[in-house]
Amino acid sequence: MISYYLRLASKSFGRTPGLTTLMVCAIALGIGACIVTLTVYHAMSGNPIWWKNNVLYAVTMDSWDPAQPADTDHPALAPSQLTYRDATYLMSSDIPRRKAMMTVLLGMLNGAPGQTTPVPTMTRATTGDFFPMFDAPFEYGGGWDAAADRESAPVIVLSHEYNERLFGGRDSVGQTIQWNGRQFRVIGVLKDWQPTPKFYDLNEGAFAQADNAYVPFNWTRTLQELPAGHSSDWEANSPGTYPGYLASEAVWIEMWVELPTAASRNRMLSFMNSYWAAQRRAGRFQRPLNNHLTNVSEWLKINGVVSSDTSILLRLAFAFLAVCLINTIGILLAKFLKRSAVTGLLRALGASRRQIFWQHLVEVGAIACAGAAAGLIVGALGLKAVQILYAAASSGDAGASNYTALAHFDVVGVAWALALAALSTVAAGLYPAWTVGRLPPSRYLKSQ
Amino acid sequence: MSLSIRPMLASLLRSRTGAILVALQITIALAVMVNAVWIVSQRIVDIEQPTGIDDHNTFVVAIAGLTSHFDLSSALSEDLDYLRGLPGVVAATATESVPLTGDGQSTELWLQPGQRGHSFAVGEMQLDTQGLETLGTSLLAGRNFNSSEIEHSTPWKLDLTPADIIVTRTVAKALFPGENALGRVVYDTAGKPITIIGITRDFMGAIGLGNAPYAYAIYPQIPGAYGAYFCLVRTVPGRLDAIMRTAQQHLAASNPNRVIFFTHSLAFYHHRMNANDRNMAIFLSTVTALILAVTCLGIFGLATYNVSARTKQIGTRRAIGARKRDIVAYFMVENAFILTAGVVAGCVLALATGYWLSLQYALPRLDLYFLVGGVLFLWIIGQLAAWQPARRAASVSPSVATRTV
Repeated sequence: MISYYLRLASKSFGRTPGLTTLMVCAIALGIGACIVTLTVYHAMSGNPIWWKNNVLYAVTMDSWDPAQPADTDHPALAPSQLTYRDATYLMSSDIPRRKAMMTVLLGMLNGAPGQTTPVPTMTRATTGDFFPMFDAPFEYGGGWDAAADRESAPVIVLSHEYNERLFGGRDSVGQTIQWNGRQFRVIGVLKDWQPTPKFYDLNEGAFAQADNAYVPFNWTRTLQELPAGHSSDWEANSPGTYPGYLASEAVWIEMWVELPTAASRNRMLSFMNSYWAAQRRAGRFQRPLNNHLTNVSEWLKINGVVSSDTSILLRLAFAFLAVCLINTIGILLAKFLKRSAVTGLLRALGASRRQIFWQHLVEVGAIACAGAAAGLIVGALGLKAVQILYAAASSGDAGASNYTALAHFDVVGVAWALALAALSTVAAGLYPAWTVGRLPPSRYLKSQ
Repeated sequence: MSLSIRPMLASLLRSRTGAILVALQITIALAVMVNAVWIVSQRIVDIEQPTGIDDHNTFVVAIAGLTSHFDLSSALSEDLDYLRGLPGVVAATATESVPLTGDGQSTELWLQPGQRGHSFAVGEMQLDTQGLETLGTSLLAGRNFNSSEIEHSTPWKLDLTPADIIVTRTVAKALFPGENALGRVVYDTAGKPITIIGITRDFMGAIGLGNAPYAYAIYPQIPGAYGAYFCLVRTVPGRLDAIMRTAQQHLAASNPNRVIFFTHSLAFYHHRMNANDRNMAIFLSTVTALILAVTCLGIFGLATYNVSARTKQIGTRRAIGARKRDIVAYFMVENAFILTAGVVAGCVLALATGYWLSLQYALPRLDLYFLVGGVLFLWIIGQLAAWQPARRAASVSPSVATRTV
């Protein structure tokens, strides 16, 4: 029966090729626009480590100015980073299963075989748990242990991209390379790992490139180097020396902990609270108690990672799809009613209402499928256009974001196209098909 | 011209589904169009804000030492001497942060010591004596720094506060509204007094502070807090690319202890700064144009269907004396009813959407002129879309009435 309906449908398309093309185009444009915005929205609002969402927590304490909040637009939020003294104290806790503190240093990589000019790179200075905690995948070798953290061992982990660039992509574990003029041993190379958004450090831009080199955190202290990442201080007097900086109220360290159970979470929070109380008695933390362990999805939300433009565009795309579908309903209704004499004849010859309904629905379904297929092409082209448009926003060095990575056509886009096509069929086809099936045949057998 | 509205309405109500669907499209199209055009107009205002600097003839060289023991200050003065000596260079300065990148430092200036009284947040630009000329801005009042006032910042003097600063007109007006700010004293966060010795035309510096793109104070300083610095170079018009290439090659080779990170023109950063606004404007305009096109096709389709479904009736009317223009008028007025219904509902939806956008995304409230303009525009293109089918209806021959279908 389906094949007979399809034959009828193709005949119907042949009779009105213009209208059919118009409907397919309208559905294709609507679906294409939705695919583009949904893909970008999905990438922006995605949680790159969803499988650990309720295990990983950002640690924040409100150590800011007693007179005003750190962010006057969001006064309830504590600073997103910690001071050195708070971070080092909290790192001494053995409640979390894993824990990492981190900052960004400017690094110069030099002395790889065949290298002629030094390569500047933003280097993440962090502790060894960073890699297992964030499930960072290794191509070669691995990370470092707690001893390396204590002794600031000269070990370095490279990104896939920089291993390609410096060592031609081969297993470079055991090789030495200069980092800021000192010999470091490569102990690991990551696979191509681009957590999007870069949840563990949103300060350099939520869609910034992943880091290209990783060294033990204590190198910050050994080299007495100021962080190249975000650092802010509310105190009136600036610290005059590096030890002064470490002892100051400047916040510049991101800290994450892995707490597998609710009990460990509670213990960690009470550990933070008792530290807060002791420090408060000593004169610090004069703001209200605002210690937080924030999971990844909440962290992305409170830091406003999804731009409001993106969610406006998402809604716009759905409004557009709605107009396209209403348009299609109108055209289909007109078309079905116009040939109601034929439908009446079929009914008179014994076709049931149900059969008439299905006949028309098959016709609509065929249009929706064609629209979805064309919509996939429109969506892919649209995403290409987005990449080209955002290339300007993604290039350059200071303050660049990696927006183009957001606009990759992926399985999500295809899934949405199929879902939207099915939805369009139902939305655009049900009413016309039902209307036509319901009409009494006698009325349409009469002449006008 | 005799138009009987009653029978027209009756006929419209009898076959209302098609008309309702078209009116619904018009409703959504109007709401989307008005709000999209409103948002785009705001973005265009943002994009066209003048930078106040000569971004097309200025470029930046980013330089960093290989190790923390790199002798930054002597390398920096060598580089500046070289850059200033190049033919075609108007002026050059060293700086800690690059204008239009969004990456820089900010602080607050207070009217009274001890963080009391009125205060104003400003972006900091550390520049030397050639700073103003390099940016392409100029003094409105007061004087430039002289070379003895320029301090060298070092890693452990992060908030080196000078005795004198130059501020933009925006800062001067915000701190001393209605008064002359020149020569007045303000205080830094530590309570140290600073004298305003000059006021410049507004320009955009490195870090954009909320709604104050021109709030900057110039500190007479040479970078040194980090192991890196930027040189800003302004060239005579038309020579930027050639000078940028020469400078990059020379600087990369002249000192083995450091690296050239990158060179870019400030026009590049200006373009990047506006990329998000520009892209949003492009997306909104494209989708709005498509929605309008689809809606017009819907209007056209409905009118065409109505004409073809009523061919016999049109013939009958023509046979009993209706003129061609009566037929055209009938379809145009019928279309006008549908349009008006859609537009009225669209006004409500547009206002509701505008209100919701202003609540949800803190966008400015929809300007009512945009609504009026949108209504007129949509009404006119809606009528144009029905014009061709109406003309075709008028060309139906009266003899059709005598034939059966």
